[in-house]
Amino acid sequence: MKTVGIDVGGTNADGVLLEGESLLAKAKIPVDHDNLSGVIIALLEKLLGDNAGQVDQVHLSSTLCTNAIVNGEMDEVGMLVQAGPGLNPEFLDCGENLVFLDGAIDHRGGLVKSPSAALVDAALADFSAKGLQSIGVVTKFSHRNPQVEQDLARQAASFPHVTCGHNLSGLPNFPRRVYTTWINAGLKTRFQQFSEAIRTGVKRLGITAPLSVLKADGGTIPLERAEAVPCESVLSGPSASVMGALALTPREKDFVVLDIGGTTTDIGLFADGVPLMEPYGVTIMGRPTLIRALNTRSVGLGGDSEVKWTEDGYVIGPQRHGVPAAFSKGKITGATPSDAMVVLNRMEGNRERAAEALRLLLPNNPPEETAREVLLSFGQNIKRAVEQMVEDVFARPVYTVSALLERQRLEPTEIIAVGGPAEALRSELAAAFDLPCEVPLNYEVANAIGAARTRPTLSASLYANSSDGTLSIPEIGLHEEIGRSYGMKDAEESLAAAIRHLAAQAGLEGELPPVEFVEREEMNTVRGFSATGKVIALKAQVKPGLAGV
Amino acid sequence: MTKYMPRAVRKTGLILFPAFDWCITPSHPEREERLLYTRDQIVEEGLEDVDGIEFFNPELAEYADIDRVHLCAPSSKALLTESHLISAGGAIRAAKAVMEKEVERAFAIVRPPGHHAMQTVFGDRGFCIANIEAIMVEHLRRHYGVRRIAIVDTDCHHGDGTQDIFYNDPDLLFISLHQDGRTLYPGSGFQNEAGGPAAQGYTINLPLPPGTGEEGFSMVTDRVVLPLLDAFKPELVLNSAGQDNHYSDPLTNMNFTAQGYARLNKAINPDICVLEGGYSIEGALPYTNLGIILAMAGLDTSNVREPDYDPRRFVQSALMNGQIEGICQNALDIFAARKKWDTGVRRGEEVVERKSIYYDTTGFGVDQVRHYKLCPDCPGYTEVEASGAGELMHGFTVPFNACSKCQQAARDAFARAAKAKGPREQVVLQDRVADIYETV
Ligand SMILES: [Zn+2]
Ligand SMILES: [Zn+2]
Repeated sequence: MKTVGIDVGGTNADGVLLEGESLLAKAKIPVDHDNLSGVIIALLEKLLGDNAGQVDQVHLSSTLCTNAIVNGEMDEVGMLVQAGPGLNPEFLDCGENLVFLDGAIDHRGGLVKSPSAALVDAALADFSAKGLQSIGVVTKFSHRNPQVEQDLARQAASFPHVTCGHNLSGLPNFPRRVYTTWINAGLKTRFQQFSEAIRTGVKRLGITAPLSVLKADGGTIPLERAEAVPCESVLSGPSASVMGALALTPREKDFVVLDIGGTTTDIGLFADGVPLMEPYGVTIMGRPTLIRALNTRSVGLGGDSEVKWTEDGYVIGPQRHGVPAAFSKGKITGATPSDAMVVLNRMEGNRERAAEALRLLLPNNPPEETAREVLLSFGQNIKRAVEQMVEDVFARPVYTVSALLERQRLEPTEIIAVGGPAEALRSELAAAFDLPCEVPLNYEVANAIGAARTRPTLSASLYANSSDGTLSIPEIGLHEEIGRSYGMKDAEESLAAAIRHLAAQAGLEGELPPVEFVEREEMNTVRGFSATGKVIALKAQVKPGLAGV
Repeated sequence: MTKYMPRAVRKTGLILFPAFDWCITPSHPEREERLLYTRDQIVEEGLEDVDGIEFFNPELAEYADIDRVHLCAPSSKALLTESHLISAGGAIRAAKAVMEKEVERAFAIVRPPGHHAMQTVFGDRGFCIANIEAIMVEHLRRHYGVRRIAIVDTDCHHGDGTQDIFYNDPDLLFISLHQDGRTLYPGSGFQNEAGGPAAQGYTINLPLPPGTGEEGFSMVTDRVVLPLLDAFKPELVLNSAGQDNHYSDPLTNMNFTAQGYARLNKAINPDICVLEGGYSIEGALPYTNLGIILAMAGLDTSNVREPDYDPRRFVQSALMNGQIEGICQNALDIFAARKKWDTGVRRGEEVVERKSIYYDTTGFGVDQVRHYKLCPDCPGYTEVEASGAGELMHGFTVPFNACSKCQQAARDAFARAAKAKGPREQVVLQDRVADIYETV
């Protein structure tokens, strides 16, 4: 099986061609953010040459959607939002066209009151008069009862695009649902243009293989399916590096992945060889969302970070110094970790200039000594960030006595480092963590390899209340009646069917990776003094992992 | 950090621990499902993402934390499950978060509750075994050196356990707002219950008529609770935030609302809240808890209402208003006449109090005699003898604010009692000054 992985970064785009696990070819070209599809096609051409027809699949990790959000280039979205009682929803900040509807759905998914038709009609007429193309509809508790969102979507069917909150995620968290829906609807036009340009370009090159894009959760999704959920491709960069590290050094234990770049270091955590997920989803430009994501953290520490000397020792980052003295010409204005690496002969560069930069920090200290201290401090800073992350994971809320008593702190046994300065920092990282630190072969194209080796991910959530007689699986828009005897076994069957449905919808053929059931909750409901039924909550997922080769 | 989520005015900690795998019995009000809908509402509201609201998991309280407060027969280890240690540990975690300045305010939404658990504990009373609020108070005193504390108990049931534990403590002002004991469990909390001999007027009961709503609660808050807190000047104000005054609660007969709870909390402005009762698990708790959290954090509470809320339903009669006015006046008089220990008394004098305590969950009674040993220099130590359920507890308690003479007197009395110990009798020295719990 021949797979292509493309990773579009801030300055360069990398491509790899893999045959199974082995690297057949790699290529790199500079990125033009105004023409990402052109960049990708050019990279494919450079990478594949005449072999385009023999490729079996193409995986892309693209910054298109992330950039559109960061640069404020999303479509204006007409938002219909039913908040019901709770936090005053006025804080929700998603464009000029946000209309709050009356009525409510309660915490069990009971419809308290539908929004009044007059309000909905007036809002849609206004959106239409403004020429809006994309509509987002969200209600509180739509993961328990999607009916109001579905009704609203039907009423808005004349608009070219409608996003419903419940289709994007079955997780609770209303503000995140609103922002996710808004982002998804706002990316629609741009992603569609991108997708069309890619398809045209690929055809011209003679590539017939299926196309997928990488998601923030360390999985892939077919390009065509992504047109309906473009938000899923947001912030896929860190997931590419985490999956790349896994592909280069697969192992089944607790470990830490560091992707060390010029300005930042991305940190990922693995428990028993499986990457940890965010509890809800990514936060992008300050907006919390339900876009499923690996638990990664970006800290302002990189090769080009600014280094200062203070009474408390070295302060590294989070500001970027600019091009390090060792790699530049002209006046030397400050020091960077890269200069320290060059002074210690761990990296190519102008050693004289690097030494001079370090002398700016501590004029009376030999530059070699300053260099060693700077890198040690770099390692210590990374270690503190990792410890904080491990602590945050440990501190996530739990709701049962058994979960509280049984929870365990992640205990990393190894550090995997990738990225430009990784090799030069290896001994300091190992010393800081007091753990072995491995820098895998081909680490400079780890992200592209990660994109190539990643397999599809799927997830669905179920909420059943047998005393009300309702079942809801929001990701597939299911809301139906159930009997009193509905139990956990039934829930597993319903969810497995939902996952199959989602797989078919995504155009995934062949055998699925194993479906895993997580976060079981089962409770008897009692009214008066007699049992009336059960509340069952369950999630199913095909978790991120490496595709078979 | 972000303008996309609200920002709390006061950094507020939440210990949200619904214990989904613990119940008294499967159909008991204190069952797994109790905080399910509250958890669902809080999570759906996105409070985890609100700037300035922090979530903490509970810790496990230690048995020493329990033994500092209670005299358990046969022992705290035998009576308490892990769930009780977690519930008490949740309250302690809330106190720690505030004292160590992780947050400015904290709310322990934990179960089971605790305010019916008295000093002597023979089993489960009114869904409580360990008085989690009292355990937190003595933990605060022991580990953070706090002295003067006010507890405002806004559960619909009289906080008879908390009252019992701090009855003779003039450094603790206990104010309980509750449905009149003639109409509701536990049948106590009348205005003549005003404190032990060393703390007269430091227990203030406000028994309210069935049907009291927002207007009545506002009246007692404004006329009694706030002026008393002002006068007492506590270092910390705690709220036993029971939510069974709600109009939809199945066990009680009051008319209070989510809006009312939010306003009450804003007025009292407690440093730490601990959930007590509240059994309208779908119609009230999701909204009352949310209202309290938002009020603590200084966030907008105007949109926190029950789906069927209609303020016109809750107008109080003039007759009821008059009745509540009278209760307020009595309370003010009792507090105005408050008096700590009497410096004129002779050491060794005592005041005796007899009590019959009913344990409703399994159904047995305990007879108790408590001797308040008077002292001219401090509240004095107490000796308690309680028997029931085949156990006999004979305890000597030295309060945290005792003088050294009383501490020595209690030790001597304990040694004598230990020597004369009967076959079924357990003799205990509970010395809160030295933080010792010794049992023979
Ligand atoms: Zn109560
Ligand atoms: Zn004394």
